[in-house]
Amino acid sequence: MDSLNISRHISGQFNEDLERIINLVMQMGGLVEKQLSEALQSVSEGDEDLAKKVFSNDYQVNNLEVVIDEECTRLIAKRQPAAGDLRLVMAIIKTIADLERIGDEAKKIANVTMQSLSSKHKDLLLNLDNLGRRVLEGLQLTLDAFTRMDVDAALKIHQTDEKIDREYEALMRQLMTYMMEDPRSIPEVMAVIWSARALERIGDRSQNVCEYIIYFVKGKVVRHTSPAEMKKI
Amino acid sequence: MISVTPTAIADSPNKVDLNNLTPEQIALEIKDLNLFYGEKQALQNISMAIPKGQVTAFIGPSGCGKSTLLRCINRMNDLVDICKITGEINLHGENIYGKHVDVAELRRAVGMVFQRPNPFPKSIYENVVYGLRIKGENNRRVLDEAVERALKSAALWNEVKDRLHESALGLSGGQQQRLVIARAIAIEPEVLLLDEPTSALDPISTLTIEELIHDLKQQFTVVIVTHNMQQAARVSDQTAFMYMGDLIEYSDTNTLFTTPSKKKTEDYITGRYG
Repeated sequence: MDSLNISRHISGQFNEDLERIINLVMQMGGLVEKQLSEALQSVSEGDEDLAKKVFSNDYQVNNLEVVIDEECTRLIAKRQPAAGDLRLVMAIIKTIADLERIGDEAKKIANVTMQSLSSKHKDLLLNLDNLGRRVLEGLQLTLDAFTRMDVDAALKIHQTDEKIDREYEALMRQLMTYMMEDPRSIPEVMAVIWSARALERIGDRSQNVCEYIIYFVKGKVVRHTSPAEMKKI
Repeated sequence: MISVTPTAIADSPNKVDLNNLTPEQIALEIKDLNLFYGEKQALQNISMAIPKGQVTAFIGPSGCGKSTLLRCINRMNDLVDICKITGEINLHGENIYGKHVDVAELRRAVGMVFQRPNPFPKSIYENVVYGLRIKGENNRRVLDEAVERALKSAALWNEVKDRLHESALGLSGGQQQRLVIARAIAIEPEVLLLDEPTSALDPISTLTIEELIHDLKQQFTVVIVTHNMQQAARVSDQTAFMYMGDLIEYSDTNTLFTTPSKKKTEDYITGRYG
Protein backbone atom coordinates (compact mmCIF):
# COMPACT_ATOMS: atom_id res chain seq x y z
CA MET A 1 0.00 0.00 0.00
CA ASP A 2 2.76 2.42 0.84
CA SER A 3 4.13 2.38 -2.66
CA LEU A 4 1.81 5.35 -2.68
CA ASN A 5 3.92 6.84 0.13
CA ILE A 6 0.92 7.97 2.09
CA SER A 7 2.02 7.00 5.56
CA ARG A 8 4.72 9.57 6.13
CA HIS A 9 2.65 12.68 6.67
CA ILE A 10 3.25 14.49 9.88
CA SER A 11 -0.50 14.61 10.21
CA GLY A 12 -1.73 11.17 11.19
CA GLN A 13 -5.22 12.32 10.33
CA PHE A 14 -4.13 13.03 6.77
CA ASN A 15 -2.67 9.53 6.57
CA GLU A 16 -5.91 8.04 7.80
CA ASP A 17 -8.00 10.07 5.37
CA LEU A 18 -5.90 9.00 2.41
CA GLU A 19 -5.80 5.36 3.49
CA ARG A 20 -9.53 5.30 3.85
CA ILE A 21 -10.00 6.69 0.36
CA ILE A 22 -7.51 4.27 -1.18
CA ASN A 23 -9.23 1.34 0.53
CA LEU A 24 -12.56 2.45 -0.84
CA VAL A 25 -11.12 2.69 -4.35
CA MET A 26 -9.71 -0.84 -4.04
CA GLN A 27 -13.11 -2.01 -2.85
CA MET A 28 -14.80 -0.33 -5.80
CA GLY A 29 -12.28 -1.82 -8.22
CA GLY A 30 -12.83 -5.29 -6.84
CA LEU A 31 -16.57 -4.90 -7.09
CA VAL A 32 -16.42 -3.68 -10.68
CA GLU A 33 -14.11 -6.54 -11.63
CA LYS A 34 -16.59 -8.99 -10.10
CA GLN A 35 -19.48 -7.33 -11.92
CA LEU A 36 -17.74 -7.73 -15.27
CA SER A 37 -16.68 -11.29 -14.54
CA GLU A 38 -20.21 -12.30 -13.55
CA ALA A 39 -21.71 -10.50 -16.52
CA LEU A 40 -19.47 -12.46 -18.87
CA GLN A 41 -20.21 -15.67 -17.03
CA SER A 42 -23.93 -15.04 -17.24
CA VAL A 43 -23.60 -14.63 -21.00
CA SER A 44 -21.50 -17.73 -21.59
CA GLU A 45 -23.69 -19.90 -19.36
CA GLY A 46 -26.99 -18.31 -20.22
CA ASP A 47 -27.55 -17.75 -16.50
CA GLU A 48 -30.39 -15.25 -16.17
CA ASP A 49 -30.25 -15.23 -12.38
CA LEU A 50 -26.62 -14.23 -12.48
CA ALA A 51 -27.42 -11.50 -15.00
CA LYS A 52 -30.15 -10.17 -12.68
CA LYS A 53 -27.62 -10.18 -9.84
CA VAL A 54 -25.27 -8.02 -11.91
CA PHE A 55 -28.13 -5.59 -12.54
CA SER A 56 -29.14 -5.40 -8.91
CA ASN A 57 -25.59 -4.98 -7.59
CA ASP A 58 -24.80 -2.00 -9.78
CA TYR A 59 -26.16 0.33 -7.12
CA GLN A 60 -23.23 -0.62 -4.88
CA VAL A 61 -20.77 0.58 -7.51
CA ASN A 62 -22.70 3.82 -7.88
CA ASN A 63 -22.83 4.37 -4.12
CA LEU A 64 -19.10 3.85 -3.77
CA GLU A 65 -18.44 6.39 -6.49
CA VAL A 66 -20.50 9.00 -4.64
CA VAL A 67 -18.89 8.19 -1.28
CA ILE A 68 -15.33 8.33 -2.61
CA ASP A 69 -16.07 11.54 -4.49
CA GLU A 70 -17.33 13.16 -1.30
CA GLU A 71 -14.32 11.94 0.66
CA CYS A 72 -11.99 13.42 -1.93
CA THR A 73 -13.86 16.72 -1.86
CA ARG A 74 -13.55 16.84 1.93
CA LEU A 75 -9.86 16.02 1.74
CA ILE A 76 -9.21 18.82 -0.73
CA ALA A 77 -11.16 21.28 1.45
CA LYS A 78 -9.45 20.23 4.69
CA ARG A 79 -5.91 19.48 3.62
CA GLN A 80 -5.28 21.48 0.43
CA PRO A 81 -3.06 18.67 -0.86
CA ALA A 82 -0.14 19.60 -3.06
CA ALA A 83 2.27 17.88 -5.44
CA GLY A 84 2.03 14.08 -5.27
CA ASP A 85 -0.88 14.11 -2.85
CA LEU A 86 -2.85 16.41 -5.13
CA ARG A 87 -2.08 14.29 -8.18
CA LEU A 88 -3.16 11.19 -6.27
CA VAL A 89 -6.51 12.72 -5.33
CA MET A 90 -7.09 13.93 -8.87
CA ALA A 91 -6.16 10.48 -10.23
CA ILE A 92 -8.61 8.87 -7.82
CA ILE A 93 -11.45 11.22 -8.75
CA LYS A 94 -10.98 10.43 -12.41
CA THR A 95 -10.50 6.70 -11.82
CA ILE A 96 -13.73 6.24 -9.89
CA ALA A 97 -15.65 7.93 -12.69
CA ASP A 98 -14.23 5.42 -15.15
CA LEU A 99 -14.88 2.51 -12.76
CA GLU A 100 -18.49 3.59 -12.35
CA ARG A 101 -18.91 3.63 -16.12
CA ILE A 102 -17.32 0.18 -16.36
CA GLY A 103 -19.96 -0.98 -13.92
CA ASP A 104 -22.65 0.39 -16.20
CA GLU A 105 -21.08 -1.34 -19.20
CA ALA A 106 -21.08 -4.64 -17.27
CA LYS A 107 -24.84 -4.26 -16.93
CA LYS A 108 -25.18 -3.82 -20.68
CA ILE A 109 -23.21 -7.02 -21.22
CA ALA A 110 -25.40 -8.94 -18.79
CA ASN A 111 -28.36 -7.72 -20.80
CA VAL A 112 -27.44 -10.15 -23.59
CA THR A 113 -28.33 -13.01 -21.28
CA MET A 114 -31.81 -11.64 -20.97
CA GLN A 115 -32.27 -11.79 -24.74
CA SER A 116 -33.17 -15.33 -25.60
CA LEU A 117 -30.73 -15.99 -28.38
CA SER A 118 -31.64 -18.78 -30.74
CA SER A 119 -29.21 -21.66 -30.82
CA LYS A 120 -27.88 -20.79 -34.29
CA HIS A 121 -26.62 -17.46 -32.93
CA LYS A 122 -25.13 -18.81 -29.76
CA ASP A 123 -21.75 -19.29 -31.47
CA LEU A 124 -21.55 -15.50 -31.70
CA LEU A 125 -21.38 -15.50 -27.94
CA LEU A 126 -18.18 -17.52 -28.10
CA ASN A 127 -16.38 -14.70 -29.87
CA LEU A 128 -17.93 -12.22 -27.49
CA ASP A 129 -16.64 -14.30 -24.61
CA ASN A 130 -13.11 -14.28 -26.04
CA LEU A 131 -13.18 -10.53 -26.30
CA GLY A 132 -14.65 -10.36 -22.83
CA ARG A 133 -11.90 -12.47 -21.27
CA ARG A 134 -9.26 -10.25 -22.84
CA VAL A 135 -10.98 -7.12 -21.55
CA LEU A 136 -11.43 -8.62 -18.10
CA GLU A 137 -7.77 -9.51 -17.95
CA GLY A 138 -6.90 -5.95 -18.98
CA LEU A 139 -9.10 -4.57 -16.21
CA GLN A 140 -7.56 -6.90 -13.63
CA LEU A 141 -4.05 -5.89 -14.65
CA THR A 142 -5.04 -2.23 -14.58
CA LEU A 143 -6.44 -2.48 -11.08
CA ASP A 144 -3.34 -4.32 -9.99
CA ALA A 145 -1.14 -1.61 -11.50
CA PHE A 146 -3.26 1.00 -9.71
CA THR A 147 -2.74 -0.73 -6.37
CA ARG A 148 1.01 -0.62 -6.88
CA MET A 149 1.05 2.62 -8.92
CA ASP A 150 3.24 0.74 -11.36
CA VAL A 151 4.03 2.98 -14.31
CA ASP A 152 5.72 0.27 -16.36
CA ALA A 153 2.71 -2.00 -16.05
CA ALA A 154 0.39 0.89 -16.85
CA LEU A 155 2.33 1.71 -20.02
CA LYS A 156 2.24 -1.91 -21.12
CA ILE A 157 -1.49 -2.26 -20.52
CA HIS A 158 -2.12 1.06 -22.24
CA GLN A 159 -0.48 -0.26 -25.38
CA THR A 160 -2.46 -3.51 -25.43
CA ASP A 161 -5.77 -1.69 -25.87
CA GLU A 162 -4.97 -1.67 -29.56
CA LYS A 163 -5.35 -5.47 -29.62
CA ILE A 164 -8.73 -5.18 -27.96
CA ASP A 165 -9.81 -2.62 -30.53
CA ARG A 166 -8.72 -4.91 -33.40
CA GLU A 167 -10.53 -7.89 -31.94
CA TYR A 168 -13.62 -5.75 -31.47
CA GLU A 169 -13.48 -4.61 -35.09
CA ALA A 170 -13.16 -8.19 -36.29
CA LEU A 171 -16.16 -9.21 -34.20
CA MET A 172 -18.16 -6.29 -35.53
CA ARG A 173 -17.41 -7.31 -39.11
CA GLN A 174 -18.59 -10.80 -38.32
CA LEU A 175 -21.79 -9.52 -36.73
CA MET A 176 -22.48 -7.21 -39.66
CA THR A 177 -22.11 -10.16 -41.99
CA TYR A 178 -24.63 -12.12 -39.93
CA MET A 179 -27.15 -9.35 -40.14
CA MET A 180 -26.67 -8.86 -43.85
CA GLU A 181 -27.06 -12.57 -44.53
CA ASP A 182 -30.13 -12.92 -42.33
CA PRO A 183 -32.00 -9.71 -41.59
CA ARG A 184 -34.33 -11.62 -39.25
CA SER A 185 -31.36 -12.04 -36.93
CA ILE A 186 -30.89 -8.29 -36.53
CA PRO A 187 -32.65 -7.88 -33.14
CA GLU A 188 -30.63 -10.69 -31.56
CA VAL A 189 -27.37 -9.70 -33.15
CA MET A 190 -27.88 -6.08 -32.08
CA ALA A 191 -27.89 -7.24 -28.46
CA VAL A 192 -24.51 -8.87 -29.06
CA ILE A 193 -23.26 -5.72 -30.81
CA TRP A 194 -24.16 -3.57 -27.81
CA SER A 195 -22.29 -5.97 -25.55
CA ALA A 196 -19.26 -5.95 -27.80
CA ARG A 197 -19.37 -2.18 -27.84
CA ALA A 198 -19.58 -2.18 -24.04
CA LEU A 199 -16.48 -4.38 -23.85
CA GLU A 200 -14.59 -2.09 -26.19
CA ARG A 201 -15.55 0.85 -23.99
CA ILE A 202 -14.32 -0.97 -20.89
CA GLY A 203 -11.00 -1.43 -22.65
CA ASP A 204 -10.85 2.31 -23.29
CA ARG A 205 -11.68 3.09 -19.68
CA SER A 206 -8.98 0.74 -18.41
CA GLN A 207 -6.63 2.64 -20.69
CA ASN A 208 -7.79 5.88 -19.05
CA VAL A 209 -6.96 4.52 -15.60
CA CYS A 210 -3.46 3.67 -16.84
CA GLU A 211 -3.09 7.30 -17.92
CA TYR A 212 -4.04 8.43 -14.42
CA ILE A 213 -1.40 6.12 -12.93
CA ILE A 214 1.23 7.70 -15.18
CA TYR A 215 -0.02 11.16 -14.21
CA PHE A 216 0.25 10.41 -10.50
CA VAL A 217 3.72 8.86 -10.64
CA LYS A 218 5.35 10.95 -13.33
CA GLY A 219 3.36 14.16 -13.11
CA LYS A 220 2.84 14.02 -16.86
CA VAL A 221 -0.50 14.37 -18.58
CA VAL A 222 -0.56 11.71 -21.29
CA ARG A 223 -4.20 11.96 -22.33
CA HIS A 224 -4.53 12.47 -26.07
CA THR A 225 -0.86 11.74 -26.76
CA SER A 226 0.30 9.48 -29.53
CA PRO A 227 1.73 6.00 -28.84
CA ALA A 228 5.13 7.29 -29.97
CA GLU A 229 4.98 10.10 -27.40
CA MET A 230 3.89 7.62 -24.72
CA LYS A 231 6.96 5.50 -25.32
CA LYS A 232 9.16 8.45 -24.37
CA ILE A 233 7.66 8.62 -20.87
CA MET B 1 -1.49 13.79 -35.55
CA ILE B 2 -1.41 17.30 -34.16
CA SER B 3 0.21 17.29 -30.76
CA VAL B 4 -1.04 19.98 -28.41
CA THR B 5 0.95 20.29 -25.24
CA PRO B 6 -1.54 20.80 -22.41
CA THR B 7 0.93 22.95 -20.48
CA ALA B 8 0.89 25.52 -23.29
CA ILE B 9 -2.75 26.14 -22.50
CA ALA B 10 -2.29 26.07 -18.72
CA ASP B 11 0.63 28.55 -18.62
CA SER B 12 -0.24 32.01 -17.36
CA PRO B 13 0.42 34.86 -19.79
CA ASN B 14 3.02 36.24 -17.34
CA LYS B 15 5.06 33.07 -17.10
CA VAL B 16 8.77 33.66 -17.58
CA ASP B 17 11.55 31.17 -18.13
CA LEU B 18 13.62 31.49 -14.94
CA ASN B 19 16.61 29.93 -16.65
CA ASN B 20 16.59 32.38 -19.56
CA LEU B 21 15.67 35.78 -18.20
CA THR B 22 16.78 38.77 -20.21
CA PRO B 23 18.34 41.71 -18.33
CA GLU B 24 15.13 43.67 -18.89
CA GLN B 25 13.13 40.95 -17.16
CA ILE B 26 15.28 40.89 -14.03
CA ALA B 27 14.55 43.11 -11.02
CA LEU B 28 17.15 41.64 -8.71
CA GLU B 29 19.98 39.22 -9.18
CA ILE B 30 21.44 37.37 -6.21
CA LYS B 31 24.85 35.83 -6.86
CA ASP B 32 26.72 33.44 -4.60
CA LEU B 33 25.32 35.02 -1.47
CA ASN B 34 26.63 33.73 1.83
CA LEU B 35 25.64 35.16 5.20
CA PHE B 36 27.21 34.52 8.57
CA TYR B 37 25.99 35.43 12.01
CA GLY B 38 29.37 35.31 13.71
CA GLU B 39 30.66 31.80 13.08
CA LYS B 40 27.28 30.41 12.12
CA GLN B 41 26.50 30.34 8.40
CA ALA B 42 22.87 31.14 7.80
CA LEU B 43 22.82 31.37 3.98
CA GLN B 44 24.88 29.20 1.65
CA ASN B 45 25.71 30.12 -1.93
CA ILE B 46 22.33 31.53 -2.84
CA SER B 47 22.02 32.44 -6.51
CA MET B 48 18.76 33.41 -8.13
CA ALA B 49 17.21 36.02 -10.38
CA ILE B 50 13.97 37.68 -9.33
CA PRO B 51 11.80 38.66 -12.29
CA LYS B 52 10.47 42.17 -12.61
CA GLY B 53 6.78 42.83 -12.13
CA GLN B 54 6.08 39.43 -10.62
CA VAL B 55 5.54 37.96 -7.18
CA THR B 56 8.28 35.67 -5.89
CA ALA B 57 7.66 33.70 -2.72
CA PHE B 58 10.23 32.29 -0.32
CA ILE B 59 8.98 29.26 1.61
CA GLY B 60 10.64 26.84 3.95
CA PRO B 61 10.60 25.62 7.55
CA SER B 62 11.40 27.91 10.45
CA GLY B 63 15.06 28.84 10.58
CA CYS B 64 15.74 28.04 6.94
CA GLY B 65 16.96 31.57 6.17
CA LYS B 66 14.09 32.95 4.12
CA SER B 67 13.57 36.09 6.21
CA THR B 68 17.34 36.47 6.48
CA LEU B 69 17.57 36.40 2.69
CA LEU B 70 14.72 38.87 2.39
CA ARG B 71 16.43 41.28 4.75
CA CYS B 72 19.59 41.08 2.66
CA ILE B 73 17.76 42.64 -0.24
CA ASN B 74 17.37 46.00 1.50
CA ARG B 75 20.42 45.62 3.75
CA MET B 76 18.41 45.39 6.94
CA ASN B 77 20.99 42.88 8.11
CA ASP B 78 23.47 45.78 8.28
CA LEU B 79 21.81 46.57 11.59
CA VAL B 80 23.05 43.27 13.03
CA ASP B 81 26.60 43.76 14.26
CA ILE B 82 27.79 40.18 13.90
CA CYS B 83 26.33 39.74 10.42
CA LYS B 84 28.80 39.26 7.56
CA ILE B 85 27.86 38.86 3.92
CA THR B 86 29.76 37.69 0.85
CA GLY B 87 28.48 37.66 -2.68
CA GLU B 88 26.32 40.13 -4.56
CA ILE B 89 22.80 41.36 -4.88
CA ASN B 90 22.42 43.40 -8.03
CA LEU B 91 19.70 45.98 -8.49
CA HIS B 92 19.85 47.53 -11.97
CA GLY B 93 23.13 45.70 -12.45
CA GLU B 94 24.72 47.44 -9.48
CA ASN B 95 25.72 45.53 -6.37
CA ILE B 96 23.75 46.94 -3.43
CA TYR B 97 26.62 46.00 -1.13
CA GLY B 98 28.99 48.20 -3.12
CA LYS B 99 31.01 50.78 -1.24
CA HIS B 100 29.25 53.83 -2.64
CA VAL B 101 25.67 52.68 -2.35
CA ASP B 102 23.32 55.10 -0.58
CA VAL B 103 21.53 52.75 1.80
CA ALA B 104 18.71 55.20 2.50
CA GLU B 105 18.02 55.49 -1.22
CA LEU B 106 18.20 51.70 -1.48
CA ARG B 107 15.58 51.37 1.20
CA ARG B 108 13.38 53.82 -0.66
CA ALA B 109 13.67 51.76 -3.80
CA VAL B 110 13.23 48.51 -1.92
CA GLY B 111 10.40 48.93 0.55
CA MET B 112 9.60 46.51 3.32
CA VAL B 113 6.49 45.44 5.18
CA PHE B 114 6.79 43.37 8.32
CA GLN B 115 4.72 40.70 9.95
CA ARG B 116 3.28 42.89 12.62
CA PRO B 117 1.71 46.09 11.26
CA ASN B 118 3.79 49.02 12.46
CA PRO B 119 2.07 52.31 11.67
CA PHE B 120 3.65 55.31 13.29
CA PRO B 121 1.72 56.91 16.15
CA LYS B 122 0.60 59.65 13.79
CA SER B 123 -2.39 60.33 11.60
CA ILE B 124 -3.15 58.18 8.60
CA TYR B 125 -2.14 61.08 6.35
CA GLU B 126 1.16 61.65 8.11
CA ASN B 127 2.01 57.98 8.00
CA VAL B 128 1.70 57.92 4.24
CA VAL B 129 3.61 61.15 3.62
CA TYR B 130 6.36 60.41 6.13
CA GLY B 131 8.86 59.21 3.55
CA LEU B 132 8.03 62.07 1.21
CA ARG B 133 8.55 64.66 3.93
CA ILE B 134 11.95 63.12 4.75
CA LYS B 135 12.84 63.57 1.08
CA GLY B 136 11.98 67.24 1.45
CA GLU B 137 8.58 67.29 -0.20
CA ASN B 138 6.24 69.72 1.51
CA ASN B 139 3.99 70.88 -1.31
CA ARG B 140 0.48 70.24 -0.01
CA ARG B 141 -0.99 69.40 -3.38
CA VAL B 142 1.79 66.93 -4.18
CA LEU B 143 1.38 65.29 -0.79
CA ASP B 144 -2.41 65.08 -1.10
CA GLU B 145 -2.13 63.43 -4.50
CA ALA B 146 0.49 61.03 -3.24
CA VAL B 147 -1.69 60.07 -0.28
CA GLU B 148 -4.71 59.42 -2.46
CA ARG B 149 -2.67 57.48 -4.99
CA ALA B 150 -0.93 55.35 -2.37
CA LEU B 151 -4.07 54.63 -0.38
CA LYS B 152 -5.97 53.72 -3.54
CA SER B 153 -3.15 51.41 -4.60
CA ALA B 154 -3.30 49.82 -1.15
CA ALA B 155 -7.09 49.38 -1.44
CA LEU B 156 -7.62 51.53 1.66
CA TRP B 157 -8.74 54.88 0.27
CA ASN B 158 -12.50 54.31 0.43
CA GLU B 159 -12.29 53.22 4.06
CA VAL B 160 -10.23 56.16 5.34
CA LYS B 161 -10.71 59.06 2.93
CA ASP B 162 -13.02 60.83 5.35
CA ARG B 163 -10.73 60.48 8.35
CA LEU B 164 -7.22 60.95 7.03
CA HIS B 165 -6.25 63.04 10.02
CA GLU B 166 -7.35 60.49 12.59
CA SER B 167 -4.78 58.34 14.33
CA ALA B 168 -3.54 55.37 12.38
CA LEU B 169 -3.60 53.37 15.59
CA GLY B 170 -7.39 53.42 15.49
CA LEU B 171 -7.45 51.25 12.39
CA SER B 172 -8.01 47.49 12.46
CA GLY B 173 -5.06 45.13 11.97
CA GLY B 174 -5.82 44.55 8.32
CA GLN B 175 -6.26 48.27 7.70
CA GLN B 176 -3.01 49.04 9.51
CA GLN B 177 -1.15 46.58 7.32
CA ARG B 178 -2.60 48.15 4.20
CA LEU B 179 -1.63 51.56 5.55
CA VAL B 180 1.93 50.32 6.02
CA ILE B 181 1.90 49.11 2.43
CA ALA B 182 0.60 52.51 1.31
CA ARG B 183 3.40 54.17 3.26
CA ALA B 184 5.93 52.00 1.46
CA ILE B 185 4.54 52.61 -2.00
CA ALA B 186 4.06 56.37 -1.53
CA ILE B 187 7.78 56.84 -2.16
CA GLU B 188 7.53 54.87 -5.39
CA PRO B 189 9.74 51.91 -4.75
CA GLU B 190 10.65 49.39 -7.38
CA VAL B 191 10.60 46.36 -5.15
CA LEU B 192 8.36 45.51 -2.22
CA LEU B 193 9.54 43.02 0.36
CA LEU B 194 6.75 41.47 2.42
CA ASP B 195 7.86 39.46 5.44
CA GLU B 196 4.89 37.29 6.43
CA PRO B 197 2.55 40.22 5.90
CA THR B 198 -0.62 38.37 6.89
CA SER B 199 0.59 36.17 9.75
CA ALA B 200 -0.96 38.46 12.34
CA LEU B 201 -4.21 39.06 10.46
CA ASP B 202 -7.63 37.42 10.41
CA PRO B 203 -8.66 35.33 7.39
CA ILE B 204 -10.65 38.07 5.69
CA SER B 205 -7.88 40.65 6.08
CA THR B 206 -5.47 38.01 4.78
CA LEU B 207 -7.49 37.52 1.62
CA THR B 208 -7.78 41.29 1.18
CA ILE B 209 -4.00 41.64 1.36
CA GLU B 210 -3.59 38.76 -1.10
CA GLU B 211 -5.89 40.48 -3.55
CA LEU B 212 -3.85 43.62 -3.03
CA ILE B 213 -0.61 41.78 -3.79
CA HIS B 214 -2.12 40.66 -7.06
CA ASP B 215 -2.79 44.30 -7.95
CA LEU B 216 0.55 45.58 -6.63
CA LYS B 217 2.58 43.46 -9.01
CA GLN B 218 1.23 45.54 -11.88
CA GLN B 219 3.41 48.37 -10.56
CA PHE B 220 6.12 46.73 -8.43
CA THR B 221 8.21 43.62 -8.09
CA VAL B 222 7.06 41.78 -4.97
CA VAL B 223 9.03 39.34 -2.87
CA ILE B 224 7.09 37.64 -0.10
CA VAL B 225 8.13 35.36 2.73
CA THR B 226 5.32 33.21 4.00
CA HIS B 227 4.81 30.21 6.23
CA ASN B 228 1.49 29.60 4.57
CA MET B 229 2.14 27.36 1.58
CA GLN B 230 -1.32 27.76 0.22
CA GLN B 231 -0.81 31.52 0.28
CA ALA B 232 2.43 31.12 -1.66
CA ALA B 233 0.58 28.94 -4.15
CA ARG B 234 -2.19 31.51 -4.49
CA VAL B 235 -0.28 34.77 -4.77
CA SER B 236 3.10 34.03 -6.30
CA ASP B 237 4.34 33.53 -9.84
CA GLN B 238 7.48 31.74 -8.76
CA THR B 239 8.46 30.11 -5.50
CA ALA B 240 11.82 29.42 -3.91
CA PHE B 241 12.02 26.62 -1.36
CA MET B 242 14.78 26.99 1.19
CA TYR B 243 16.07 24.54 3.73
CA MET B 244 18.82 25.10 6.32
CA GLY B 245 20.27 28.06 4.49
CA ASP B 246 20.28 26.41 1.07
CA LEU B 247 18.12 27.21 -1.92
CA ILE B 248 16.74 23.79 -2.72
CA GLU B 249 14.39 24.53 -5.58
CA TYR B 250 13.28 27.63 -7.44
CA SER B 251 10.69 27.38 -10.17
CA ASP B 252 7.34 28.68 -11.31
CA THR B 253 4.73 28.22 -8.64
CA ASN B 254 2.41 25.95 -10.61
CA THR B 255 5.21 23.49 -11.26
CA LEU B 256 6.62 23.60 -7.74
CA PHE B 257 3.27 22.83 -6.15
CA THR B 258 2.18 20.12 -8.59
CA THR B 259 5.39 18.41 -9.76
CA PRO B 260 8.37 19.56 -7.70
CA SER B 261 11.64 18.17 -8.96
CA LYS B 262 13.40 17.80 -5.62
CA LYS B 263 12.33 15.26 -3.03
CA LYS B 264 12.98 17.71 -0.17
CA THR B 265 10.55 20.13 -1.77
CA GLU B 266 7.93 17.43 -2.25
CA ASP B 267 8.37 16.29 1.35
CA TYR B 268 8.01 19.81 2.71
CA ILE B 269 4.99 20.88 0.73
CA THR B 270 3.18 17.60 1.36
CA GLY B 271 3.95 17.65 5.06
CA ARG B 272 6.36 14.75 5.17
CA TYR B 273 9.68 14.72 6.99
CA GLY B 274 12.43 12.24 7.69
